Amino acid sequence: MQYQDTGWIGIAFTLMLVFFVLFNIRRAGKNNDIYIRKIPGLNAIDEAVGRATEMGRPVLMVPGLGELNAISVQALRIFSYVARTAVKFSNPIRLCCSQAPVFAVAQEIIRDVYQQEGVPEKFDDETVQFLSDRQFAFAAAVSGKILREKTAATFFMGEFFAESLIFAETANAIGAIQVASSTENTQTPFFIAACDYVLIGEEFYAASAYLTREPVLVGSLIGQDWSKIAILITIIFGFMMESVQRGQMTGMEKQPDGSYTPIAEQRLKKANETFMHNVFNPDPPKPLEITRPQKPAEEGAGGGE
Amino acid sequence: MILANATNFWARESGSGGLFLMVFLTLAICAALIFGLLQMPSRLRRPVVATFTFVSGLFYVLLWIWPQAQDRKPTDLPANFTESVSFWLSDALPKIANVSNILTAFLLGLGVFSLMRVHLTRLAKKQRDWSFSIVLLVSMISITIFGYWDWAQRQGMTPLQLEEATKIENWTTARLGQSLLFDGLLQAMDAAMFSLIAFYILSAAYRAFRIRSIEATILLASAFLVMFSLLGLADLFWSNMINAAGGSDPASFINNFRLSEIAGFIQKTFQVPGIRAIQFGIGIGALAMGLRLWLSLEKGGVS
Repeated sequence: MQYQDTGWIGIAFTLMLVFFVLFNIRRAGKNNDIYIRKIPGLNAIDEAVGRATEMGRPVLMVPGLGELNAISVQALRIFSYVARTAVKFSNPIRLCCSQAPVFAVAQEIIRDVYQQEGVPEKFDDETVQFLSDRQFAFAAAVSGKILREKTAATFFMGEFFAESLIFAETANAIGAIQVASSTENTQTPFFIAACDYVLIGEEFYAASAYLTREPVLVGSLIGQDWSKIAILITIIFGFMMESVQRGQMTGMEKQPDGSYTPIAEQRLKKANETFMHNVFNPDPPKPLEITRPQKPAEEGAGGGE
Repeated sequence: MILANATNFWARESGSGGLFLMVFLTLAICAALIFGLLQMPSRLRRPVVATFTFVSGLFYVLLWIWPQAQDRKPTDLPANFTESVSFWLSDALPKIANVSNILTAFLLGLGVFSLMRVHLTRLAKKQRDWSFSIVLLVSMISITIFGYWDWAQRQGMTPLQLEEATKIENWTTARLGQSLLFDGLLQAMDAAMFSLIAFYILSAAYRAFRIRSIEATILLASAFLVMFSLLGLADLFWSNMINAAGGSDPASFINNFRLSEIAGFIQKTFQVPGIRAIQFGIGIGALAMGLRLWLSLEKGGVS
């Protein structure tokens, strides 16, 4: 990290958020009776899987196009819940992956679900499939699967890009119940337009806590709420300070090196002289004069023409 | 001092004995690790995996938190302890990234194996839609053969020979096949899939904008205003009306009703704060998820 440009405030704020999350995770074990507001998209999971069972059609899940990261892992956690519900009803599952590492992890998670439910023999090669890591080849493959197998319920959760609407509209065309969520802001409106239920923003990360009520996850969720409150307070404090300070008069002028010199006539404060600006934009650094020891020159190096 | 010398740890010369020794040692350590993990009692596996996860994550956390050395030149040696650690971390980054690339390559093999098994089984058992499996297998094998053949032919060529080889009159069978399959078919089919989105947007927009509730009506009205502000002709027509109603005076209140002003108000006052609020939620959620994974606090399938 480059502290000279950004100062210490960013890292201090991040460490505070980390503390909030860890503190609440530790605290949550003591109090399990914590209210989480209703999330209709997650309440609809059982309904969607139940409908698929009645119709005798598979449930399709796609964890997005992203690499193996926090987003795809969160999507797989939600899918493990969906898969458990589907396995209880003996419903076939189709989990389609576009990234090989996600496929490998997904295969293990879903196989575990089948084993825990006592039906490991029902897990087959088509339950979790790697289709293609090319965006539109993957889109074509998933759309083909939706149309051929007439999936009754579809779950799209994770990082989606331009292909999101292809999936959602194809599933909509065959009347499948759709629950979707994308961490990409540009794709969320498409899902809202085409899907029955959409998890927006942090609802995606709240899903596992909502579904399992595990103390660690619930505590983490409270930590997230504390973090949001901290951000909200900072924003309110920031705009109040700006509103007050921009109306104040000053008799000093800020110099490029960060020092202040008196001026002849008082004037209103400039935007770069307010408290909040100074917190997020520390004084410009003085010219760098770095002298470091040098590596010894290699024999025969340099000098030739 | 140890860390200062360690900057060379990540930069062995290509083809040197030291490099081969490191490769051999790495392979031996990996083999020992795999053997050890297989032999380990199940109750010990979780702490071992948790330790590996923590150490791997710690590298990236340190890389982010530790002050970065400024204006570093290839001949520089670290001036103090902080710089020693910083040099070591930045030198190690490409090597650590290579590890994840190699793992991804192995996992890709696993994915391709799964794909082939599904389709070969379908073909062998003449299951439903087995003809599609033939198309997939033939495409996959042929593009691999032509791609590799073309790549092999271009190895060892000088830049001038490469330039000559790309001219269409000098195309070999391998280049022709590769171009036909990749540029002629795959790219074209990608573009065809992408173009479908335009039609899907239309049908999705129709459903979203149907006036069913107050929210849908507000959405419809805002969308129309923003879209009209981007249409030059509509903007010109509306601007003329505003000018005729006294808008030619810049101080006139009616100037606030220009399409560009209304669209700007909708975007800056409602859209941008809304998106930022969602992004805050997503960012904090990702931070909490990352922490739980790094510290192996999650129970269940993924940690």
